[in-house]
Amino acid sequence: MKKVFVFLTVVMVLVTALAACAPAVKCDDEWGCATIQKGQTIKIGYVGPTTGDYSNFGIDISRGAELAVKEHPSVKGFNIEMVVEDTQGTPEQGAAVANKLAADPQVVAVDGHTFSGSTEVAIPIYDKAHIVMMSPSATNPSLTKLGSAVFNRVVFHDEMQGKFAANYIYNQLGVRKIAVMHDGGAYGKGLADMTAGFFKDLGGTIVGTEPITPGETDYSAPLAAVAATGPELVYFGGYDADAAVLASQMASAGLKGVTFFGCDGTYGKNFIDLAGEASEGAFSTYVPIPESAAFAKFKADYEAAYGDPQGKLSPFSPHGHDAMSILIDAIEKVATQSGSSLIIPRKALADAARSTKDYQGLTGTLTCSDTGECAAAAVQFMVVKDGDWVKGPGQ
Amino acid sequence: MNVRLASREGLLTGFINLCCILLGLTGLAGTMVGGWFHLSSRQPGAWLLLLGIAVWGGVRAVRRVPDPSRNKTLIAGLVAGVMHGLTLAVSLWLISTLLDAGAEVRKWLVQLTPEAIRLLTFGLSPVAAAALMFVVMTTAGLVGALWVRASERYPWQRTLSKGPTTVRTRFLALPAVQNFMQRKHSQQILWGGGLLILLFFPFVLGQYWNYTLGTVGIYVILGLGLNIVVGFAGLLDLGYVAFFAIGAYIVAILTAPAPHGIMMNFWLVVPIGIVLAALAGVLLGIPVLRMRGDYLAIVTLGFGEIIRILSKSDALTDFTGGPRGIRSVGGPGLFGFDVSSEFYFMYIIILGIVLAAYVTLHLQQSRVGRAWMAMREDEDVAQAVGIYTLQYKLLAFATGAALAGFSGVIFASRNKFTGPEDFTLLVSINVLCLVIIGGMGSIPGVVAGALVLKGLPEILRQLADYRMLAFGALLILMMIVRPEGLWPSTRRQMELHERAEQSGEPDAGSSPETGP
Amino acid sequence: MATAVQTRAKRTFRIGRLIRPAIGVVVAVFVLWRLYTVLASQSFGPDTWVRFAISGLVLGSVYAVIALGYTLIYGILFMINFAHGDVMMLGAFAGYFTLEAFNGAGFLNKNLPSAIISVVVAFIVGMSVSLVISIALERIAYRPLRTAPRLVPLISAIGASLFLENVAQLTFGVARHTYTNPEVIKRNIGWTLMVGGKEVLVAYTGVLTFVLSLLLMIGLYILVQRTKMGKAMRAVAEDKDTAALMGIDVDGVIANTFAISGALAGAAGVMWGLHMGVIYHYVGFIPGIKAFTAAVLGGIGNVPGAMLGGLVLGIVEAVAPAALGMPFQLKDVLAFSILVLVLIFRPTGILGEVLSGKKA
Repeated sequence: MKKVFVFLTVVMVLVTALAACAPAVKCDDEWGCATIQKGQTIKIGYVGPTTGDYSNFGIDISRGAELAVKEHPSVKGFNIEMVVEDTQGTPEQGAAVANKLAADPQVVAVDGHTFSGSTEVAIPIYDKAHIVMMSPSATNPSLTKLGSAVFNRVVFHDEMQGKFAANYIYNQLGVRKIAVMHDGGAYGKGLADMTAGFFKDLGGTIVGTEPITPGETDYSAPLAAVAATGPELVYFGGYDADAAVLASQMASAGLKGVTFFGCDGTYGKNFIDLAGEASEGAFSTYVPIPESAAFAKFKADYEAAYGDPQGKLSPFSPHGHDAMSILIDAIEKVATQSGSSLIIPRKALADAARSTKDYQGLTGTLTCSDTGECAAAAVQFMVVKDGDWVKGPGQ
Repeated sequence: MNVRLASREGLLTGFINLCCILLGLTGLAGTMVGGWFHLSSRQPGAWLLLLGIAVWGGVRAVRRVPDPSRNKTLIAGLVAGVMHGLTLAVSLWLISTLLDAGAEVRKWLVQLTPEAIRLLTFGLSPVAAAALMFVVMTTAGLVGALWVRASERYPWQRTLSKGPTTVRTRFLALPAVQNFMQRKHSQQILWGGGLLILLFFPFVLGQYWNYTLGTVGIYVILGLGLNIVVGFAGLLDLGYVAFFAIGAYIVAILTAPAPHGIMMNFWLVVPIGIVLAALAGVLLGIPVLRMRGDYLAIVTLGFGEIIRILSKSDALTDFTGGPRGIRSVGGPGLFGFDVSSEFYFMYIIILGIVLAAYVTLHLQQSRVGRAWMAMREDEDVAQAVGIYTLQYKLLAFATGAALAGFSGVIFASRNKFTGPEDFTLLVSINVLCLVIIGGMGSIPGVVAGALVLKGLPEILRQLADYRMLAFGALLILMMIVRPEGLWPSTRRQMELHERAEQSGEPDAGSSPETGP
Repeated sequence: MATAVQTRAKRTFRIGRLIRPAIGVVVAVFVLWRLYTVLASQSFGPDTWVRFAISGLVLGSVYAVIALGYTLIYGILFMINFAHGDVMMLGAFAGYFTLEAFNGAGFLNKNLPSAIISVVVAFIVGMSVSLVISIALERIAYRPLRTAPRLVPLISAIGASLFLENVAQLTFGVARHTYTNPEVIKRNIGWTLMVGGKEVLVAYTGVLTFVLSLLLMIGLYILVQRTKMGKAMRAVAEDKDTAALMGIDVDGVIANTFAISGALAGAAGVMWGLHMGVIYHYVGFIPGIKAFTAAVLGGIGNVPGAMLGGLVLGIVEAVAPAALGMPFQLKDVLAFSILVLVLIFRPTGILGEVLSGKKA
């Protein structure tokens, strides 16, 4: 018994001694500084589902971020390392990964998380660890209302999108009766509910609401139920794979001639590839990426590096790129060299990211608000014509 | 005859090699080997893998030869190598010709990027590359054959499977250990020492390890609960996550500011969560526990899915928060202090594990435990000797559910969030896997299983996209090498070995382990 | 002491006997009430009901074909082959590549015979690939575990399922793929029925799926009941030791069983692709679980039972949510509830167990 105590005391003493040995660095940042020694890398996390059901999103966005790192591989002679962590799309794994990144003193920023659920769980963890976040695709409106000092995003949030979509459907398309479908997920349902709410406020009628089970390949029964309510248009909140199945089965389920209206999750080449001819006339929301030399180069680089055409797996790879570039830029602004090591003050970094102004990104000119909304504030509705997305009428 | 067998081995391993290329494993091996030895090229690693498999093909072919003379060995190796080489050379020729013709092979087989092919062709023309591949692989097959001749067959499989057990028995046989075990309070000292170490644990670990090991701890409690249901009572439950979810949602609904704003104290909610989860166990158990083993499995699986679907459904959104789940779940406070960080949760989890282990041990060694065992072995006989099986089954189900509810409460409170995505079928499967990998019916086995199952994917993270592939393969391998689990209960181990000794012939018949 | 225990047991038993009728009455009242509300509100016309039924029949027949494979393997090894759905997925991919190849060669839509040949070849390729994978699975992951406790092969099967899913993700990519059907059986063309003054489409692919699944079921039934191989399978299912003593090659019979069930899964995969269109690496997981449910529903180990269970499950999924006035999000809740109810009232499934009487 005595020996056990002696042993434990020794262990404790050793641990304390080790902790005391940590090198002292001059740092007058409120939140402390990250110190990158010579030969170490500046780590920026990327968090998204790279395996599992939604791996197409996670992998696609990580590619965008990776290209951004390739364009800007180092800050003041210190290499940037992108640490890719997999969440499999679940909040639980999101928390686990956030804790892992938070425990690594070299991690100063995170490009992510990708999904709103996992982001929501992660925000308090990064808040505590003072790691700045820039999400490429977490669109839930409430995320920026949590009062977090570290969370920012470069993507348009759902409330705005819902409002614009309802307006477009009512005023431009002149539709009065719509049915709402969604995939039962946080993103899809949130968006569908908001759009439905705004549409009702405008004076339209919601003839039916039909949530579906995501990931299936047969929705003929729920579509038949929707058809029985006689809508002029079906609004869908969810992702492209489910949307493609819905669009291609609508005609045979009795919804011939009814417009399919998706959201930004359904936009992309993939939707047309999957739905084929049935995609003709389908709408979706799109945060327009202005044609620029940089974007053309990005597309070329993407295809050269990964084989898939850019935009096939998800529409968000430019967002992943921009989030990463803004973070690297912010690091460049605040990092100072001290001897052979690089000092990155954490509070200054978070402030630098949030005070981003007129940043020329792929997704447009980005300026962050006080709450961390950095998306270029424009939205466009696209329609499939002759197998390609073109601008919808009246814009 | 030998030629046929050898060529079959060559074809088989050639096909495996082809699969490695299609899966991108050559690229992965290249990156990893390159990383270890700081090489600039990925070629060495890729070719190491290819050659390794080809050599293995040669080895396999030679083992098929009943009385290996030198000539026969060489012929077998050569034949295997030729077949192996042919398979790869033809496929490589086909792929690189297609690529040269401008076909987008990557559209269907995503790993066949031009770089990946260049790793194999060295930039040669299709025919030359195929010829090179053929020559190299044939040589590798021969090398494999020669290697078998050079070395005696090493019984690695047996060593691997006996290894941990022998280490344990040898350790227990040490004089000092024997001496210690014979002293009066040795058991108590061991337990006390273990507990003390556990109590110091959270100090030493950082936030990340406190969190990760906390997750492992939560899975240990879950595993202990399921161990009662599956390991003791022999009821196959594939929907165990349902009770976990019930616990989590109860703490979330009762302590979070939204959607209901009840905001009760965490410590009051713990017993409520446990009791309600147990109640759910009884309510589900009454109608379904009469069913036979595997019917029970699918019904419980369905129950787990029902709970998850309901929790995210539109119908219950106002009650459960729908797909967005519930956030700001309350944490525990102690005399006005907030003790809800990962660090304090580690203590709560340790306390939970100790409690759960105590309950499990207590039940196991009581009348109830013996009744369960009797029931598991043969339900009819158990009934005949006067055990009212339904009651005992219900008890097992309810205890398991209560432990799951308890861990659910801790889980949601620690994450400060709960949502339907955390309660998928995969959780049930993971818990079942950890119980079986650890060794059914064994408490230390559950701990070992949880460490392996929740720890492995974390360790395998460096394999990136390939980690779940590796995990699946390891699950199979582990079951083949150690079917009784990592740390089996002594009783079960005896049963298994007894059976293996009794019948040399594989007895595929019904074993009495789970089915009632 | 003994009497006290006995009376207590008796009392509980009596309560236990009351449970079944009580559940029955509650469920019946609920269903009738919901049905009445839905029918009274007339939210769905007759055409919609027919659409639901068609959708259910087609979905159910695919479930049924997968369930046949489950039932065979369970009947012989008492083992839940968790990876069966993934075997189906790989079969679907094989069929997809075949059709892509024909399409690439311009053969797919040359004329009617070429279309028929393409589809037949796609089925053959899909079935053979699944067959080989199924046999390999048995050899590598299950055969070494014959003597192990029963849950051990289950874990091995779970591992195999994860493995196969990730193999598919890594080789074929994360993007989903759409089947290229020959023009004559494109997914949204077919016969048109007039129901209640409205057109209802009966897709050719749907009819093909349904008819083919019936044929496969009949073929399998004949195989199990009439042939020597079937006889051997039944003998092995009954008692492996005795069968071995009678000179039956038990390993061979088990391998045959896996081969047959793999081929069935492959056929189901190609049917799935032709009718539903979209395939990806997880496409087999949910149908696999549903098919196992269907097999249990019909009485596991029973060939016509699996067929019936599949069809019932498909129809419940497509019709019941509408009939009970619930959103389709809850269809799986209803499907599993039906399973529980059937098992409460008929503990051996709708048709009971035939392939083997003795169960562990």
